[in-house]
Amino acid sequence: MTINEKNYIEIKGVSKNFGDVIAVDNVDLAIKKGELFSILGASGSGKTTLLRILAGLETPSQGSIMIDDMDMTTMAPYDRPVNIMFQNYALFPHMSVFDNIAYGLKKEGETKEIIEEKVQRMLSLVKLEGYDSRKPNQLSGGQSQRVALARSLIKEPKVLLLDEPMAALDKKLRQSTQFELMDIHDQLGITFVIVTHDQEEAMTLSDRIAIMEQGQFIQIGSPNLIYENPESKFVADFLGNINLLDADMIENDQNRILLKCKALGGQLSLSNAHDFNGSGQISVALRPEKIMIQKEFPSEEVKNYVKGVVEDFGYFGNLSIYRVRTESGEIIQVSKQNRDRAVQSIKWEDEVYLSWENKNLMLLGE
Amino acid sequence: MSGILINNNNSFRENLWRHFIVAIPYIWLLLFFLAPFVIVFKISLADPIIAQPPFTPFFNEGKNGGISIYTTFDNFFYLFQDSLYFVTYLNSVKLAFIATVFTLLIGYPIAYGIARSPQPIRNILLLLVVIPFWISFLLRVYSWMGILKTNGLINGFLLWLGLIDQPLQLLYTDTAVYIGMVYSYLPYMILPLYANLVKLDVRLLEAASDLGAKRWQGFLDVTLPLSIPGIIAGCLLVFIPAIGEYVIPALLGGADTLMIGRVLFDEFFLNRDWPVASAVAIVLLLLLVLPIVYFQKRQAQDNSEVVV
Repeated sequence: MTINEKNYIEIKGVSKNFGDVIAVDNVDLAIKKGELFSILGASGSGKTTLLRILAGLETPSQGSIMIDDMDMTTMAPYDRPVNIMFQNYALFPHMSVFDNIAYGLKKEGETKEIIEEKVQRMLSLVKLEGYDSRKPNQLSGGQSQRVALARSLIKEPKVLLLDEPMAALDKKLRQSTQFELMDIHDQLGITFVIVTHDQEEAMTLSDRIAIMEQGQFIQIGSPNLIYENPESKFVADFLGNINLLDADMIENDQNRILLKCKALGGQLSLSNAHDFNGSGQISVALRPEKIMIQKEFPSEEVKNYVKGVVEDFGYFGNLSIYRVRTESGEIIQVSKQNRDRAVQSIKWEDEVYLSWENKNLMLLGE
Repeated sequence: MSGILINNNNSFRENLWRHFIVAIPYIWLLLFFLAPFVIVFKISLADPIIAQPPFTPFFNEGKNGGISIYTTFDNFFYLFQDSLYFVTYLNSVKLAFIATVFTLLIGYPIAYGIARSPQPIRNILLLLVVIPFWISFLLRVYSWMGILKTNGLINGFLLWLGLIDQPLQLLYTDTAVYIGMVYSYLPYMILPLYANLVKLDVRLLEAASDLGAKRWQGFLDVTLPLSIPGIIAGCLLVFIPAIGEYVIPALLGGADTLMIGRVLFDEFFLNRDWPVASAVAIVLLLLLVLPIVYFQKRQAQDNSEVVV
């Protein structure tokens, strides 16, 4: 997969109001050619509205949209080089699988031979050979999703928009479909824009994620960047599990940060790696998988540790999640990979020591 | 054990109750449709006589004190011999068909418009469709006489505009019958169509548009085919009563507007030939029921194909 440096989709200052409600609020976004881009947000965050604006199903109240240097802002959906896969697929119930997939080509006035050939190729791409004559109500959820995907890909759009593509599938199927979708993306090289509320889905699929809240983007970046370097408490909390602990900044110069965090046992001295310039009340964020949990007193090398009592735990097979109440009374979540086939050794009410490396602490302002 | 027994008892009572509720409409149909139909059918097999009632009895006392049954199919043969009946049937079908087509052409856009309007307005529009039902059907047809007659509203208006200098003959023509039928049966077309169109998933139209269909193409490819059940239901609801319609052709139609309802009335009340009138009614019923049974069977087949 090649990603050109040039911007392929350019959204500039786009807003959309429905009456008094601002669904999309002055949004800027640039997406590169061939990128698999996700817009992640809770319901009501405006992500679907933005997708519909890209598809031409809504006209923006303000702003402009360019795709491949063409102004799309007011172009009708049937003229756009963009196709959308709807959340519940919106397959034409009265048409066969073949006619559903062929619909876009028929409207282009393609010849029968070309339609036949392209539809068959598409059917094999989504692994539905031999399903041509089925009606949508004779398909399972996964099959319907493939037909919808094939239908939206058949015109070889410049951009494919996917509205919650996996939401209607069960978990097992969702995982395998995610990888198939990535395969198809790599094979065709089409730019994908996915809207989803499922952070796992966004993380697995995307080259980049934009997190949307109240009509605005809060953070845009690669899954890894957003996960490990969230810029706000909202993002940190939204993506995965995290411990958000109150702390007071004592000293903050360019090289060193000194802060007091009751939950983590008092004073912490960190190097200022991320140019954090907050002061006063801040939050220290620490992901559960970056904390070690053990019953034994930590060895000499371990500088940062805190003592606590296991209040609760969940066993998930591959890992266990503990909720530990520290001496200062805060709850800290810890996850532990179950690397050995051993009986769960840490149980309720056990006294444990939690340790971490200071470089894994993230500092977040309000 | 006792718990189970009570349960059984309850479910038995429930079952009885359920059967009873289901039975009510059937009993109703049995009493007020099937029984009269059997009587009419019986009369159609009799000969007319001048007596009270004006037809030969079904059961006769035989010479030896036994009971013999008298039936004749003469009335049915008679219907086929006199071309009047055939022509009238045909004309009824033609009138009902054309009226249905016009009702559909007018009713579809109305139903579509109602289904697409915002919720609060939708209910008001639906109410407006139904409101004419609050006035007697006969009264409404009479008022059409006032509108269509030589010195009526339409002619007055056209004369006033100067478009015509002689009043048009509107009343007592087939046109008047069409106007009356389309007007009277329009709600029966609009309501099932509306019920169908309001369910249409707008995203299907968006999908069509996204795939390159202009608005009219989306309508032809998605809305229209998906509304076929509504179209069929509406057309049946209009066509069936229209074909046997008596009041509208009698009041608005001319002497030459032949409709089976009128012939039936004439046979019954003017000629006092109850057996022929009954035969006319039976044939009309068969004419209507057979295509509907065929249609229903086909639809049932379509539905069974859907099984995964």
